[in-house]
Amino acid sequence: MGLSSKINSKFLVIAVSVILLIYFVVFPMGVLLVDSVYMDGGFQLHNYREVYSALVNWKALTNTIELSLMVMLASVLITFPLAWLVGRTNLPGKKIYRTLLVASYMIPPYVGAIAWVQLLNPSVGYMNLILKWLLHLQTSPFDIYTFGGLAWVLTLFYSPFAFITISRAMEKMDPTLEEAARISGASPLRTLWDVTLPLMAPSILAGGLLVFIAAGSCFGIPAIVGMPGNIEVMTTRIVTYLYMGDDNGIRNATALAASLMVLANSLLFFMTWMLGRKDYTTISGKSTRPNMVDLGKWKWPAFLGVGAYASIAVIIPLFSILLTSLLKSMSKSIAWSNIGFDSWMPVLTSSQYMESIWNSVIYAVIAATIGTILAIFIAYLSVKTRVKGRSLPDLLTIIGGSTPSIVIALALVITFSGTFGLNLYSTMWILIVAYLVKYMTMAVRTIAASLSQVHISLEEAALSSGASWLRTCKDIILPLIAPSVVAAWFLIFMPSFYELTMSLLLYSGETKTIGVLLYELQTYADTQNASVLSVIILGIVLVGNLILNKVSKGNVGI
Amino acid sequence: MAQVRIEHVFKRFGKVTAVGDFNVTVADGEFFTMLGPSGCGKTTTLRMVAGFETATEGEIYIGEKCVSSSHNKHFVPPEKRDIGMVFQSYAVWPHMTVLENVGYPLKIKKVPKEERRKRVLEVLEMVHLGEYAERYPHQLSGGQQQRVALARALVAEPSLLLLDEPLSNLDAKLRESMRFEILALQKKLGITVIYVTHDQGEAMAMSDRVVVMNRGIIQQIGAPHEIYTQPANKMVADFIGLVNFLPGKAQATTVTIDDVEGSFPHPNPEGLEGAVTIAVRPENIGMNTSDGIVKGIVTHRFYMGDSVDFRVQVGSHMLRVIVKGADIAQYPDGTEVYLQFDKVMVFANDSEASK
Repeated sequence: MGLSSKINSKFLVIAVSVILLIYFVVFPMGVLLVDSVYMDGGFQLHNYREVYSALVNWKALTNTIELSLMVMLASVLITFPLAWLVGRTNLPGKKIYRTLLVASYMIPPYVGAIAWVQLLNPSVGYMNLILKWLLHLQTSPFDIYTFGGLAWVLTLFYSPFAFITISRAMEKMDPTLEEAARISGASPLRTLWDVTLPLMAPSILAGGLLVFIAAGSCFGIPAIVGMPGNIEVMTTRIVTYLYMGDDNGIRNATALAASLMVLANSLLFFMTWMLGRKDYTTISGKSTRPNMVDLGKWKWPAFLGVGAYASIAVIIPLFSILLTSLLKSMSKSIAWSNIGFDSWMPVLTSSQYMESIWNSVIYAVIAATIGTILAIFIAYLSVKTRVKGRSLPDLLTIIGGSTPSIVIALALVITFSGTFGLNLYSTMWILIVAYLVKYMTMAVRTIAASLSQVHISLEEAALSSGASWLRTCKDIILPLIAPSVVAAWFLIFMPSFYELTMSLLLYSGETKTIGVLLYELQTYADTQNASVLSVIILGIVLVGNLILNKVSKGNVGI
Repeated sequence: MAQVRIEHVFKRFGKVTAVGDFNVTVADGEFFTMLGPSGCGKTTTLRMVAGFETATEGEIYIGEKCVSSSHNKHFVPPEKRDIGMVFQSYAVWPHMTVLENVGYPLKIKKVPKEERRKRVLEVLEMVHLGEYAERYPHQLSGGQQQRVALARALVAEPSLLLLDEPLSNLDAKLRESMRFEILALQKKLGITVIYVTHDQGEAMAMSDRVVVMNRGIIQQIGAPHEIYTQPANKMVADFIGLVNFLPGKAQATTVTIDDVEGSFPHPNPEGLEGAVTIAVRPENIGMNTSDGIVKGIVTHRFYMGDSVDFRVQVGSHMLRVIVKGADIAQYPDGTEVYLQFDKVMVFANDSEASK
């Protein structure tokens, strides 16, 4: 009896999670793909032909690819030396730099875009004003509303993907492989060229592809930086078509979104395949302390160089937003007399603003709670059981996470507006489902990693003591993986809280979120209120990250 | 070929002294082994010879060339030391074929392609990998990768070969056969070898001389049989082979075991007096039921195939006695036996860290 009840509850839980995932992840994307090629009762590519015959869409596609390639190349070229300096040399201040270099990971991208618009706006950008004054220039040296400006902001915000991937590969590489080259007579530079770079090539490419996909899927930055300069990308075109609101608009958006989804997921598939190849793994013995390269006289120049990059990437933009939120009047110059909390009061007392903040908090809490519970079961299934198809739910959440937000949102719109029975449109649940589809994979990864550390014998000991499977989960497994569960909760909560792209397509009058509100303020050129809201978002995210860091002892962070 | 002089070398990491006053001259063509438990400083010393660590103090010479001197702030980087080295993890480059791996040191030296190929194939022949030249490392077994690493270390005909626990990742049988292969190669080439291991069996079987290290300090340097039969202190006696330690007292020419009647003759060359530690190896204890100085009772027996491993209670002490070719039924548990001690060693009680 004990055995059969154990199997039954296990299967029930598994079946429910698989059905939910298929219904909310696979089905909508299937509907999107089918919709894009199905018309008048048959298969045809009419939608694609129509959408790409418009020059603006064709241009958006080439822009997206060009931009993503540029951002990918720039990110790899910048982060490889940074990862090497931080990971393998005696660079001073390494620890702080490591944190700073991944910090833009936790800043919402559109907040970064707002900051850079403030800094490099051609007429009133702080940095432009300072440079004009310093160098006695007649005109502003930079214009953010250009292709280059867009690439610059995207690079700063998505290069941490490459930095993290490349740093990890560098740490994992057996340092004796390099020492063997040195003892064979190769100089340090020759060793880098002959051994380090070829061995790291798959990880460098993988990091680059992650950046490519992220930059190509991003909506917030192109919307804020690109659109004012009439630079359109796939994501901004999709939103424009959807805002038309008619059938034709939706058809065009669907075709564009389906192209974007296929592009992103096939790149991701290629990357996973490439990293999974076994040829490059070697037997590793005791890990010798990796030899830290002595930078010698380059030590302090390198320190200053990395410091300058970290300031530009993280500190200056944050400072700019804080400064703008504290200015009493945007039209007056920057002076102590012009600093105060004057613009804060209207925001904090506005019921409209507070309602949006409150909405975001509630939706993020619900999403994080449901997502964490599901993630526990999915991770358990994938790591701890030998059931056939055990990693299917895990795979489904990965697909959800790797699909561009805009595609998820559109798929949910066309699927859950009543066409197939369920109508979630303009309720808060469609937002919550969207957050779950996009962010649950991070929670599953975190919990799975921690579960794989809990030896099966601990569970078997509880079962043989007479506890049921659910009881074993409650008494043995949950307490052991508790820190990762808390971490997983925050990993869903934080990005859901400040989400923009999906919320923008799925919100209604009653369910406006803080991301949407901020986007509206920025587009209506209410820079000061936008800055105040940005500071509030950053404050909440920072607190969340501190808790996350504390709970996971620094192992997990956004 | 070269002699290696390591003169008064210290290595400190912050306040921790990893190696203290290491002072050894390795002769030209010698097979020299550094032996000790993990963390004893043997690998750090080897890495200072290789040039991967910088000595905090002292000088290192390879041949007549000074490669590291704290005094003159002189340091030759690893690539300019003319050394071959085999790493514990093999460190065979996975993106190169066997031919490219082994040929790499020659490529750096700009040896022409044709000659390079010829020399690589020669050295591969020497390590019995002749037909594997075109393979990639992931197509080879662990033992074969080890041979590739060895071939790569030898191909440029270095004056010195460093081996850092090269056999510890191999299974027991292969480890045994590789010992003799490495030794045969070394004798054939006449190359100077510094070998690091924590396996005393390897050290005993392969070395001309062994240095036993503990906590960064040299405990003893000598031929394998000297270290085994005349350990300099308790640490060496304990680390090499098996040993029974017994508390005792030393007189002018005899020693007695505490709580046990009778005394043993001992020449006592160091003139020890008072409380000492008596050490005797299990295989140097004879056992019979008729007569002897020390009386004991058999409490446990373990059948080992070629021998029987007894536990014998003597007064308050438990001794291990290994009798070659004994019959397990000869001395059942509870048998009263007499023990004869051969090759008794006596150490002063504070000898452990004194040397």
